[in-house]
Amino acid sequence: MEILQYSLRKLIAGIPLVLGVTLISFLLIVYFGPDKTYDLLGKNPTAEEIAEVRSQLGYDRPFVPRYLEYLHEVITFDFGNSESTDEKVSTILSRTIPVSIALALPGFILGNVLGVMFALLAAYFRGRWIDKFIMGFAAIGMSISFLIAIIGFQILLSSSDGLDLFPVRGWDTSTPLQYLRYVTVPTLATVFIALGYNTRFYRAVIVEEMTRDHVRTAKAFGTPPARLFYRNILKNSMIPIVTRIVFSIPFIVISGSLLLESYFGIPGIGKVTYDAIITGDQPVLKAVVALTAILFVVAQLLTDICYRAVDPRVSLK
Amino acid sequence: MIAMTAKARAKSSDILLSVRDLVVEFATDQGIVRAVDGVSFTIKAGETVGLVGESGCGKTVTGLAILGLIPSPPGRIVSGSIELQGQDLTQLSEPELRKIRGSEISMIFQEPMTALNPVFRIGSQMIDVLRRHQQLSKRQAHAAAIEMLAKVGIPDPAVRIEEYPHQLSGGMRQRVMIAMALSCGPKLLIADEPTTALDVTTQAQVIEQIIKLQSEFGMAMILITHDLGVVAETCRQAIVMYCGSVLENAPVTELFAHPRHPYTLGLLGSIPRLQADRQTKLPIISGMVPDLLHLPSGCRFADRCNKVMQQCRQQRPLLGALPDTSTKVACYDPH
Repeated sequence: MEILQYSLRKLIAGIPLVLGVTLISFLLIVYFGPDKTYDLLGKNPTAEEIAEVRSQLGYDRPFVPRYLEYLHEVITFDFGNSESTDEKVSTILSRTIPVSIALALPGFILGNVLGVMFALLAAYFRGRWIDKFIMGFAAIGMSISFLIAIIGFQILLSSSDGLDLFPVRGWDTSTPLQYLRYVTVPTLATVFIALGYNTRFYRAVIVEEMTRDHVRTAKAFGTPPARLFYRNILKNSMIPIVTRIVFSIPFIVISGSLLLESYFGIPGIGKVTYDAIITGDQPVLKAVVALTAILFVVAQLLTDICYRAVDPRVSLK
Repeated sequence: MIAMTAKARAKSSDILLSVRDLVVEFATDQGIVRAVDGVSFTIKAGETVGLVGESGCGKTVTGLAILGLIPSPPGRIVSGSIELQGQDLTQLSEPELRKIRGSEISMIFQEPMTALNPVFRIGSQMIDVLRRHQQLSKRQAHAAAIEMLAKVGIPDPAVRIEEYPHQLSGGMRQRVMIAMALSCGPKLLIADEPTTALDVTTQAQVIEQIIKLQSEFGMAMILITHDLGVVAETCRQAIVMYCGSVLENAPVTELFAHPRHPYTLGLLGSIPRLQADRQTKLPIISGMVPDLLHLPSGCRFADRCNKVMQQCRQQRPLLGALPDTSTKVACYDPH
């Protein structure tokens, strides 16, 4: 009950954020965005034709009604049809979002689980060669651009110059095996890059927790290392770890896989967004931006609820 | 001859803990710091010993070294021995030490606000310790924990045991720490400034509680403190430390009646007294504690001592027994 009330309060508090994001995106994408008049009219239009098309497109109407119309679209989640494919925007989203999730989820989970594990190892052997080895790899992961990692793994695993084990591009989830074949290389590239950032971040968090007084107390009472790591260090590091994980959810659902999807030719939301930006497909862009904002509010709410689960000091009042 | 060895054995078996020539060093970016330098003392079973000195004099490090808790790296025990009933703790492996920590020797810390794990109920933390060192079922351990909480003076222990540390006051948390430390019946309790972080009224209560329980459990205690008043009230023996070494080791009554080392004299002199004339200035020890990285080669207190001689600057005076007293002092010219 407490959680329900709290969620409701938080969601209401999130409304200004959504309003702010929609206002800015409306200004950038719609109000000051591309003018389609001349695309539609072709060569040598008359002044009357221009005025007619502009009024059809709604360009002659004042700011406030146009913004309210956009807000109405956000609330009903009906953004009309795509300008390039004439497909309903909501249909596009419901088709592509599952693809994106299926693509990003393995990398997301592996990147975080392995990140925490490597961070624990590095923190435990702080200052020793194992720590330096792990942190060295993390630095490499952070320094290499995502695109280079993608190309590198592709050449190594998918090309005839390398092992030639996986398809170069495309997407097929008809059987689990097919899914595995297509998802492996993108996942490896994601994990390789994510591990760099995650391991560094988690190691810093864990090392800080290791120097806390209660860890010393636990040691003074004979707590063995494994239990010390689980009960004192990991459990107390959960707040920053959870924050990082939950806040990256909007990215994996929406925009995170933009590069991955366009490079591997995977028909996910990232590819759709990319194409919409290139062609100036306003209905799709508006939907993606609004969805991202809403997801952020939800992620914020989720982190706060997770805090309560991992730290009894947090009150939901 | 036989009688003598028997007597000697009886005497040595009285000794619970014997620290000999303990040296602890820390590697820092500026060089190696000797935090504890040749500390020796013994503690008899059931006895209370005060370890007194300024911040950074090595009291806490000595306490941590006894439990093998020196953070390593950067710290390490370089030499010396710490014998608990004849067993040298410095030679034990980590798993062997873990069996001793919390059962044979317990330690309570200065900062009750942060010393307990914030995300577990206090009961869970106490039961964890109890079950690690004793063969108890969950239910037995739960009952034992409630009993211990009652003993340290926590009202409604059966309710409190379900609470998290943040729901308790500082004094209550320190009581929980004490309950946890005593739950396995240790032979030695190391109390590292247990009351420094508490307010004055709570301080007195907590100290009283510790002393009451100490006689009840018949354990020895090392009380690490900079508060000479607490030492006077609670300890039989006092060890005065300065810059990592022991300057004076004397029975408390001796120490207060007749301080031998100029530093001890200075410490006692700088305590404000109620009877004293308000107009007189409180005496202080002039000068500063030397940097542990650049310790003088002679007596560490030489630069601040008003009785300093040529000899003091050349060679460090060793801790030696004064004739006709049970006081040991490291000074060429004790009072």
